[in-house]
Amino acid sequence: MTYNLMTCGVGGQGLMLVSNVIGIACAEFGLNIRTAETHGLAQRSGSIYTHVRIGEEIYSPLIPYGEADALLGMEANETLRYIEFLKPDGVIIMNNYMWHPVQSTFNRVQDAANTYLSIKTIMAQLEKITKTIHLVNATEIANQAGNPLTSNLVLLGALVKTEGFPLSLNQLQEIVPKVVPEKAITANLKALLLGYENRK
Amino acid sequence: MLADVISTDKKNAFLFCNEAIVRGALESDVKVVAFYPGSPISEILDTFYLISDRFDIKMEIATNEKVALEIVAGASMGGQRSLIAMKSVGLNVASDTFFSLGYTGINKGCVLVFADDPFCHSSQSEEDGRFFAYNSYIPMLEPSDPVEAKSMTKAAFEISEKHQTLVLVRTTTRINHQSTIVPLEPLNRTEFIPGSFRESNKKYATVGSKARELKLKMLERRELIREDFEESEFNKITDGTENIGIIVSGVSYNYVLEVCSKLKINPPILKLGTTYPLPKNLISSFIKKIKGVIVVEELSPYLETNVKVLAKDSNLNLNIYGKTSGHFSEAFEYNIPIVFKVFKNLYKIDTTIEYEINLAKADELKSILPVRIPVFCPGCPHRATFWALQKAVTGKSNEIALINDIGCYSMLLLNKEIYPKLNGDDFLLSMGATLGAGSGISLAAQEKVISVIGDSTFFHAGLPGMINICHHNEDVVVIILDNSVTAMTGQQTNPGTDFGTTNNPKNKIQIEDVLKGIGFNNIIINDCFEAKNCIPSFRKALEEPGPTVIISRGPCALWNDRKKRKRGEKIQPYYVDQDICRKCHTCMRDFYCPAISMDSHEKEFTDDNGKIWKGFSSHISPKLCDGCGVCSIICPYTNHEARSEKDVIKIYEKKREVRHDL
Repeated sequence: MTYNLMTCGVGGQGLMLVSNVIGIACAEFGLNIRTAETHGLAQRSGSIYTHVRIGEEIYSPLIPYGEADALLGMEANETLRYIEFLKPDGVIIMNNYMWHPVQSTFNRVQDAANTYLSIKTIMAQLEKITKTIHLVNATEIANQAGNPLTSNLVLLGALVKTEGFPLSLNQLQEIVPKVVPEKAITANLKALLLGYENRK
Repeated sequence: MLADVISTDKKNAFLFCNEAIVRGALESDVKVVAFYPGSPISEILDTFYLISDRFDIKMEIATNEKVALEIVAGASMGGQRSLIAMKSVGLNVASDTFFSLGYTGINKGCVLVFADDPFCHSSQSEEDGRFFAYNSYIPMLEPSDPVEAKSMTKAAFEISEKHQTLVLVRTTTRINHQSTIVPLEPLNRTEFIPGSFRESNKKYATVGSKARELKLKMLERRELIREDFEESEFNKITDGTENIGIIVSGVSYNYVLEVCSKLKINPPILKLGTTYPLPKNLISSFIKKIKGVIVVEELSPYLETNVKVLAKDSNLNLNIYGKTSGHFSEAFEYNIPIVFKVFKNLYKIDTTIEYEINLAKADELKSILPVRIPVFCPGCPHRATFWALQKAVTGKSNEIALINDIGCYSMLLLNKEIYPKLNGDDFLLSMGATLGAGSGISLAAQEKVISVIGDSTFFHAGLPGMINICHHNEDVVVIILDNSVTAMTGQQTNPGTDFGTTNNPKNKIQIEDVLKGIGFNNIIINDCFEAKNCIPSFRKALEEPGPTVIISRGPCALWNDRKKRKRGEKIQPYYVDQDICRKCHTCMRDFYCPAISMDSHEKEFTDDNGKIWKGFSSHISPKLCDGCGVCSIICPYTNHEARSEKDVIKIYEKKREVRHDL
């Protein structure tokens, strides 16, 4: 069995940490994994993604269109931007957060009728592919965990509860301290747990 | 993970391909490494940068790829194993020395990793570097994943020493930027003991009669390597039942395996890992047994052309499907859907998988999305510089020609609508080209030329152009954007930075000292964050006959933030004071900072005459704001001069509790 996970967001949101935690957990617990990542332009606030593929029979680092079991989106615009990878009725774990591209602001200045997109509009589009959308208030939960930068781990926690995801909460809890800086371990573990517990 | 790159445990580690290449070099006991950064190989040097002190490795981030290649070749000649990595276009820069090294050979193992960039993710051209190997007679290995990248890096050192030649390891962006489980092998590091250049009694000189002698030897060497490659473990034949076989190399091998599994077909596959010199006998024996062959390779028909030549002798009736037959394109990257479509048709398989329909449906859903093109970061010095430059050229934008170069400032090309008066998409060729081309345009055309170049590019390829401008007294305004680091590729050191690794302390080279030494008289140095103050100097430079050099100085925000965090300094974000904001939108229209957005609801406000207005205010995200303060300088309603920056921050702190993020 292959488990395909597409993750996406905006540069600076800590997406790489999510695939690193999953990857290192796979190495530790004997699962095969292959990921393809966005690197390159070192600038902040660009659109970024990671293809994560777990299983014995995986070759391509890229997930074929329509074959991702889950789509984890750190930002709403970007979640929709990579929708071609999600299989019909796949799972979406999406942060209830919008980081409007500066182009949208520029367009609004030209004409106030150009409004920003809303989460609701994005959701309506996503629902045309799947009904299983978990909207997570990751920023709020991360703040409860004690560090606003741990939204990524909140979403990972929510993902772990998804049927078919090949790693358990316990396994990830064992790996997180090896990957994050020492002073951030407690908050990241808490974020992971809260993300898991809050997921319905 | 970095800890795994240096781990002495025998285990399977989750490694990024660029880390796996570093691990392979460490396992091969590499002693000297040199680089110039460039995507997709930057993380190779970033990883070495973090570990070189620990392993007694001599590392240099050189001025450019040519110098870096000369460093590792020299180190090999001096008796040390050495490695260099560069992006495809970097090999163009290094090619003069590269071709000579084909003739002279080297001494200790010397490996050159180069990465092509199909799809131009971060390059100016989609060139196929495999022809460098063909043209230089230098052997080449091509991995298809991180595991092979590590094995091939190790094998390259052995081939290099056995045949006394530089060896190429050719990757592509999709190889470099993937991670997987990589088995770690023992790290048997030895002490760094200085070698000797003279004792090896080797000669590295090539010219005229000497070169003719070396050319013949080089041809002999190639055939010896070819014999080895016929038996190489990196070339693999998988038997199959179809009468159409597949020849493939690099990342495409992964797509081929997955597509075969999806279509439930079992064709014979020849996967090539040694792609120069090609194992001719192996290929010939493979194509002899089949009726047709599909050649799957990104970019040029390099393998395909060779297969055609070999088929002439070994299987004249062989049907060859590839680029010349129109099945595959020479442009861009491949993926599963592309390979799937060709295989489905050639193997005549009925399938319900419809990738195009998925994609078309997604495209329709996504049509409502705003684009998110790369822009300057919050706090980026370039935003301030280009704001001031655009103000300075207002009214005469038709009289200037802005000639751009390679670096973060290349993004002007993508942000054209924001800087309509700068025409930043008119020109972008290659590292340093702004200077030579700027000179040529100034000779030929009536516009006033503004050549833009960054600090790292200035040191990399700008010096000859600058000397030429001074020597010929060209009528050019050169703007040097000095942000202290090589920013675009991840903030690496360059000759203008004042830091390095412990093993490699750096002498900081001051750009203005270099310019004075060349003989430039008209040098202006601006603090670009004082954006308003920079406008007059730009205006003056545009009015006077050149050459004029303006150094626009201000540190890269990403790099400076890291320094601040290390020092324990807080980044103090700005905020929009609603008592002052007149909803004029100047900050959003003219400054284009990702930290500034427009509120969703209109607010009432009272002007100085007591009149009530309505409008959308701007909002600064405290999470994104870098505190550069330039937006407050350009705000027409902030009396910036009357207020010290400290005061603004104080006001901020007082109001901090009631402010929320977007």
